[in-house]
Amino acid sequence: MSPAVVVLLLVAGLSEAIGRMLPLIARRSGASRTGVAGLLMAGAVVEGTVFALWPLTAWALAALVLPAPQPGVDAPAWTPGLVAPLILAAVLAFPLLGPLLHLLLMVGVGAGLAGPLAAATGLGWWAAAGCLAVAGVGLALAVEAVRRLVGTIGATGAAEPQP
Amino acid sequence: MNELLLLLLAGGLGPVLLAEALLARHEVLVYTAGWRATATELPEGMPHALGAAADRPPDAYLVYLDGIGKRRFRDSRDGGRLVRALIDGAPELRVLGQVLPYSPLADPLADRPVWAWLRRHVGLLLFLHNVMQIFVAADRRYRPVYNRAVGGQIATQLRLAGYRPGSDIPVVLLGYSGGAQVATGAVDELHTRLCAPLLLITLGGFHNGANDLTHARHLHELTSAYDRIERVGTWIFPPRWRLLWRSEWNRARRAGKVTVHRLDPATHVGPRSYISPDAMLPDGRSHLDRTADTVIALIRAHGSEGTAAP
Repeated sequence: MSPAVVVLLLVAGLSEAIGRMLPLIARRSGASRTGVAGLLMAGAVVEGTVFALWPLTAWALAALVLPAPQPGVDAPAWTPGLVAPLILAAVLAFPLLGPLLHLLLMVGVGAGLAGPLAAATGLGWWAAAGCLAVAGVGLALAVEAVRRLVGTIGATGAAEPQP
Repeated sequence: MNELLLLLLAGGLGPVLLAEALLARHEVLVYTAGWRATATELPEGMPHALGAAADRPPDAYLVYLDGIGKRRFRDSRDGGRLVRALIDGAPELRVLGQVLPYSPLADPLADRPVWAWLRRHVGLLLFLHNVMQIFVAADRRYRPVYNRAVGGQIATQLRLAGYRPGSDIPVVLLGYSGGAQVATGAVDELHTRLCAPLLLITLGGFHNGANDLTHARHLHELTSAYDRIERVGTWIFPPRWRLLWRSEWNRARRAGKVTVHRLDPATHVGPRSYISPDAMLPDGRSHLDRTADTVIALIRAHGSEGTAAP
């Protein structure tokens, strides 16, 4: 993975973290600027890692559905052109239309990844797109579960009486 | 040519819209996090209310919530005309026009340094900002906070204008265009803070129909068959569809709380708008006169109902 892709993935992760966190902050009072910045940085690393894992997970899924193993085939990798649109992931925070625009963005990026995945695995474009969709939904559910867990722990901790 | 246009749209308008959307919502975040308090001070020499004198209770307090042209405490040109006509026609009312419906922090857009520069160079962005604020107010993720912020702003200005909680004097929220979104959203906060009998009047109201109107006595919808902008609101916001019969808007309608008044052939904006002093009706009144007369008649009828009630 080239340094440019790593930087872009981190920026995309930060953008996604901003898009996800700002609506939450908008409903909770008492967040300090330093705390928010720290959470955004942590979120950027987590979300960037999830983005990095997306083609790898899809490739692993494709390997499961292939009729025969494909020796010596590498997983498709992010390129700057493929990852660049994810920099707009903060569009999720856009009022009213945010979730729809975010979904369209993800579908567009997934469609861009489907070609390289199909070429790497020998699957058809639609099958590759299916693997990407399943991988994307799986990763999204996993990270959402972690998000909720962290939220619950945070809320419980905040509710505990101070000594 | 088409490619150039697409490039301009994607490269120019796209980032501007995105930046604008993030900026518009930023104010709600600052309010919620408590990083800045809502402003309460008005410009020097500006009264907290116009109309009925402060030395005795008025028949009602009228809060005018302007359309997207509002960017300072003073009324916009059209809003100012309407407020003037209402004061002239109903001197028994205390009228407040200083509430900033599109700023949760009550921070006038016109006074912000960057926006002052933008106003001189790209004035359209000021309108875009306020449109985005309506979208923020209508978004279910931000709406509760937005409603609390602007509801609190209205309650504070009413208190400063002499309103005493529990006094049972009616408070009328008159929302023009996007001001209707804010008016419907402010109901709960005003009920909590002032326990005031609330009457809502929307003029070409652009709102999402998702706000709870339980604590509003009634909502009068002033509309026209020629008002395309209001109609767009009824199309794009699902809670306004009759199909979603459990939406707050449909609940209020079923409860008999919504009355529609037609002001045909007035348009939403322009030379034939609801607030136009030049467009004339067959009876010799201008559109502005008719709108003001209608609003005053509704407030007086509401007041006499309240008086007649046991």
